[in-house]
Amino acid sequence: MSEKKEEPFTINWLTDLPYRYALGPVASKFFRVLKESGKLLAIKCRKCGKVLFPPRSVCADCLVEMTVDDMVELSGEGSLDGFTVVNYPFVDPNTGETRPFPYGYGAIKLKGTDTWMLHFVDETDPGKIKPGMLVKAVIKPKNERKGTLEDIPYFRAVEKK
Amino acid sequence: MVKQKVAIVATGQTKHRSRRRDVNISEMIYEAVKMALDEAQLTPKDIDAVVIGNMDHFEGINFSEMWTGIESAPGYLKPVVKVATGGTTGTSLAAYGYYAVASGMYDKVLVVGWEKINEGGATTGIVTAFDARWERPALAGALGPLALMASMYMWEFGVTPEQAAKVTVKNRRNAANNPFAHLQQPNMTVEEVMNSPVISWPLRLHDCCPQSEGACAIVYAGEGVARKISDNLAWVKGVDTGHYYTYGGDDVMHKYPAAKIASTRLYKKVGIRNPLKDLDVAEVYEPSSWAELMWTEALGFCEYGQGGKLLDEGVTEMGGELPVNPSGGVIATNPIGATALIRVAEAAIQVRGLGGKRQVPDVELALAHGFGGSVWADLMILGKEP
Repeated sequence: MSEKKEEPFTINWLTDLPYRYALGPVASKFFRVLKESGKLLAIKCRKCGKVLFPPRSVCADCLVEMTVDDMVELSGEGSLDGFTVVNYPFVDPNTGETRPFPYGYGAIKLKGTDTWMLHFVDETDPGKIKPGMLVKAVIKPKNERKGTLEDIPYFRAVEKK
Repeated sequence: MVKQKVAIVATGQTKHRSRRRDVNISEMIYEAVKMALDEAQLTPKDIDAVVIGNMDHFEGINFSEMWTGIESAPGYLKPVVKVATGGTTGTSLAAYGYYAVASGMYDKVLVVGWEKINEGGATTGIVTAFDARWERPALAGALGPLALMASMYMWEFGVTPEQAAKVTVKNRRNAANNPFAHLQQPNMTVEEVMNSPVISWPLRLHDCCPQSEGACAIVYAGEGVARKISDNLAWVKGVDTGHYYTYGGDDVMHKYPAAKIASTRLYKKVGIRNPLKDLDVAEVYEPSSWAELMWTEALGFCEYGQGGKLLDEGVTEMGGELPVNPSGGVIATNPIGATALIRVAEAAIQVRGLGGKRQVPDVELALAHGFGGSVWADLMILGKEP
């Protein structure tokens, strides 16, 4: 009998799990309008009047149903109320590839909404960021748009320090 | 309706560490279960029902209750329920197990939380928990949003990275007194934290929790049987849960409204007027150093913006007025599905005076807190008296 400690066995498992998610009428309209006209929409609750992004079909506060008729157009501008620079490797579930890093990521209060959108920002130096500074959604040219959130590659920090 | 009072009669934990390649999932769970059952001097046949949980996607096993809940938990021919609510899994487990006994449905319930995180990927697992169309494209696991919260908090209140670093120093030092803790670093300094690599500004490596593998188990008993099992009990005084909105950006993240609302409700229910004075110890779920500062505010230990001052004054240190995370907290140990249940187990250990070197003297009331989901909060208060 050998005194040598035996290494425990492991098995490796790689998988490819494709999914397809139905978006529903409200999000479908958002992405249709984004693709066709490059505009951003939010949705306004008929009861409390809160304007919500992402647009959704039910206001959680009121349990009131909203439809595509309640969607409102946004300017694409907002204030950068939170900011970070993601600086670690990470497998992007949309592509299966490691997402290039570092990249800027922000909590953006879109003008006219009561919520924050969490999205890419084109700055990786926190020293250049001013709390609450104006940012603007950058939209891909029409021939490159697919009707997904990737049509908004990032927000541009407008008035840097 | 509460039909009977409920006590925690025993707890069990594994020695948490980054990898447990020496055992499989079931064997790892068994270690915590065995410890809890042995402490209670109960056998599997004494248990009426089992509640077990983890986060499915981290290990890529979507039906884990089938083989973990039966083989090691031990749920063979018993009612078994699996609970998974992200970071709050452990406190949701604890709440559900409590409901099962408090309702009068069962007298002895075993609750088990576990994670074998490095068999899969936490970051990918976390991303698949979020909305595919709106949140996944830009999300990078939990650290990105935690960093956003930290920046919002810093910008609004002027709390500093040095104050956050002190949380790590405190908790990793506390962890050295806890034989189950993963990262035991009694000599960590503020400089060491401040000089560690930036992971997601303003979060540095040592501002972040580790990924741990481990399991935790607790045994609940109804008032009719609890005293027959043990004369040293931690009674459940109250439970509350705040689940808030759908998307991470739906409200002011850094003010953690779900914890504010749930804790205010729970303190009223339990008769706590001043949590800082009335509670003797708190085990909070701080996935980052910054988070503990924010949570101490949302949980009402101080006003908004005063979390850094509370720490600077030593209030949350061992020996302070309200020690926070004597176990070392999440910044030292984070086996996801077990993490929040460890908060409950450690609160029970404190109430029962079994904490050894991490024991806070004379604990009458202890708070356990779980964080997760879209900035969700689960809370439980345990006490020496029923």
